[in-house]
Formats: sequence, C-alpha cells, structure tokens
Amino acid sequence: MNNLLQFVIRYSAFLLFLLLELVALILVVRYNENQKSIFANSSSILSGKLYELTEDVIHYNRLQVTVDSFATETAALKEKIFNLERSLQKVSPVEKPLDSCILETYQIIEARVISNTVNQRNNHFTIDRGLDDGVIAGMGVISPHGVAGIIDRVGDKYATAISILHSAARISASIKRNEYFGSLVWREIDPGHMILEDIPRQADILIGDSIVTSGYSFIFPKGIFIGTVEKFWTEGGSNYYTVDVRLHQDIARLDHVYVINFMDQELMEE
Amino acid sequence: MNNTVFRHIIRVVVLIIFQVLILKRIGLGTSWLTLNGEIFIYPLIIFMLPFKLFRHYVILIGFFVGLTIDMFYDTVGVHAFALTATAYARGILLSYLEPRGGYQLSMNPTMRSLGLNWVLTFTALSLVIHSFLYFTAEIFTFVYIGKILLKTVVTTVLSLLVTMGYHFLFNPKT
Repeated sequence: MNNLLQFVIRYSAFLLFLLLELVALILVVRYNENQKSIFANSSSILSGKLYELTEDVIHYNRLQVTVDSFATETAALKEKIFNLERSLQKVSPVEKPLDSCILETYQIIEARVISNTVNQRNNHFTIDRGLDDGVIAGMGVISPHGVAGIIDRVGDKYATAISILHSAARISASIKRNEYFGSLVWREIDPGHMILEDIPRQADILIGDSIVTSGYSFIFPKGIFIGTVEKFWTEGGSNYYTVDVRLHQDIARLDHVYVINFMDQELMEE
Repeated sequence: MNNTVFRHIIRVVVLIIFQVLILKRIGLGTSWLTLNGEIFIYPLIIFMLPFKLFRHYVILIGFFVGLTIDMFYDTVGVHAFALTATAYARGILLSYLEPRGGYQLSMNPTMRSLGLNWVLTFTALSLVIHSFLYFTAEIFTFVYIGKILLKTVVTTVLSLLVTMGYHFLFNPKT
C-alpha cells in the first residue's frame, strides 16, 4: 500500500498527463463518431457573441462587395418572378391554385455567417439565427451563389450548420440540361471542388454543364445553381460517371446566407 | 508577485483572442495555407510560464487553454490533446536544455534571461511536438502520414515566425 502511494506521488505529473490526454482523446473520438458534439461549440453564447462582434467590424469593410452582389441577385430574382408570372398567366383559371398559400411552401430566413472553417475533414459554420428566429435542425442553408450546408445544432440565438464540405454531407444534385441526378459529396481534396457520384453512363455530360439541386430531398428546393462540370471520368469499370464539380460559391467566403424552411415537410413525412 | 500573476493572465487572454480572431482568419483567407497548415501562437502561453511553477499546474493550464481554443475552432478535444502533451513535454525539454549550472531562481524563459539560442531551440522543439500531435489527433489515422508531416513542417515554421516575432517585439521580462 505504501509502495503504491509512493508510486502515485512520484509519478503524479505523468498520471495527471495521462488522465487529461485520455479525456481529450475521448472527446476527439466521440466527436469523430457522431458529429453531434453536445460539448462546447460555437453555438454557445460566449464564442458566438465574440465572433459576432468581430464580424460586425469586418463586415463593414466588405459592404460595397455585398451591396453589388445583392443588386445582381435582386435583378436575377425579379427576372425569375416576372417569367413565372407570365407562365402562370397561360394556365387556365380552372387549374390555378385557389389559395396562394399552396404555392408558398418555402419560407426563407435571412442570416449571417459569423464563424466558418474549410480546412478540416468535417467543416462547420455558425450563423447568427437560432430557435428564436424559427431555425430548426435539418433545414437547408443556401448562399447567393449556391448551396452552403444543413443546420445541425441550434441554440437560442445561434445555430451551427454542417458545411457541404463535410464527410457526412450528401446533397442530391442533377445536371440542369438533362436532369440526370446523383449525390454530391466532398472528398477532402480542395474546398473549391466537390464530386458528383452515380451519374449513369448513358447521360451525356459536357464540360461546363450546370449542376443544380435536384429537389428530391426536401431540404433544398429544385434548381439552385451549385457549380459547373470541370471534368468527368468512370472509375475502374463502374457503370457510373464520377463528375468533378467546381463550386460557384467559395465556401471560405460565406457571408450572407438564407435558411430554407420547407413548410410541407410534416405532410411529406407522413 | 501579484503583478506577475496579473501579467500572465492578461497574456493568456490576449494570446487566445489573437489566435481565434486573427490567426484563424489568416488561415481561412488563403487556400494554400488552408490545405497545408495553420498558424499557432497560443502554445506560447505554456512556453512563457515561469520555471518554478509546479508541473501539475502547467499540465492543467495546458488542458484548459486547449479546451478554450477548441471551443472557438469547433474541434472538440483536438487542441486540448496537443497542448496537454506539449505542457507535459515542456518538463522533459527543460531538463534536456538545462544550462550549465542549472536554472537560477531569477531566470525566465525569455531572451533577456537565457538568450536567443536557448529560446529558439526550446520554442522550435515544442512547436514540432505540438503541431505533430495536433494534426495526428485531427486527421486521426496514420494512413495520411505524408499529409501530417507536411502540415507539421509548414505549421511549425509559420508558428515559429509568429512566436519569435512576439519575443522580438515585446522582449518580455517574465
């Protein structure tokens, strides 16, 4: 007993070191296993607040760029609305939906990214909207130039989303021209590129084809522009094309994003 | 005495804020750096602790500073893992680098007290250990050993520049 006690006292620094390393490793492994780190993350109030403060300063510098990109976006949206209304006019009054709320199944929550990473295997970003603003886990997040991620953990004022640059993210995407679809995944090569898998070989793909969301998962509406085809190949006798997609949105420069709330989700799940 | 403690606490807070608000952003801004490494200054908190501080405290401080950094980087446990190990290794490195005649009570791990050579060697060795363990824990498999080594080298060099910059700029007393 005495010997044991002496051993513990003699090596207490080493034992303390081992204990703390064990704790750290358990945290790392838990985190790797199920991405659901309930432990301190940036949706917590302290770090969220600090990031928001600095974002305010930096945001000011980028004002002009932001305004410009908003103007372009507004123009594009107006064009879309006018075209839609024009095509709706062609629909006979009988086929027109009676209630406008039938059409409005998507609700958009505007948000700002206050913290972001692109250099890890599993990347996350934090937005300055939370439960109080109606954000719920599982909603899709899009940016003015493409798809950004999916909400993961939600706090009262902040929420953390898994970025599309995350090993667990799979986004259903299709080729705009001919509607062949597959899943978009990230292979940790480069934050500017993603891989579109499972495109059947009969599909004709051209370099430069637009890739858009397919709308088959209720997270993202159909037709959001993601990027363009850079190259494509078949992997070792497979019947499917693997397509290298260059992302239109630079994920490292996410700023203003929109959280998409699909109101019919409950209906669809039933 | 109180003044010294106060000085250390201020340094811890300032270095953490500098790390998560500025160095994290620099890492994000350039895609080359993003893929090949990071810049760390927060290990300096451990390097600058006084020699006479009990070893257990150094390890505990390492663990908690690591956890704080993790909170801002959204990497649970990775920084804590690396910094705890660095804090433990500090004891071994110090005895390995002990000057002739041993450490005096008046000595501090600074350039004023022990000279440029000593500080450079100590910082470089500690940073190698820290970056290697950080990327090992982050990537979590030795399959990508090449990637780990490349990131370790890049990170060590950049962090060493920033850390020595701190020494030259402020030339701290304690």
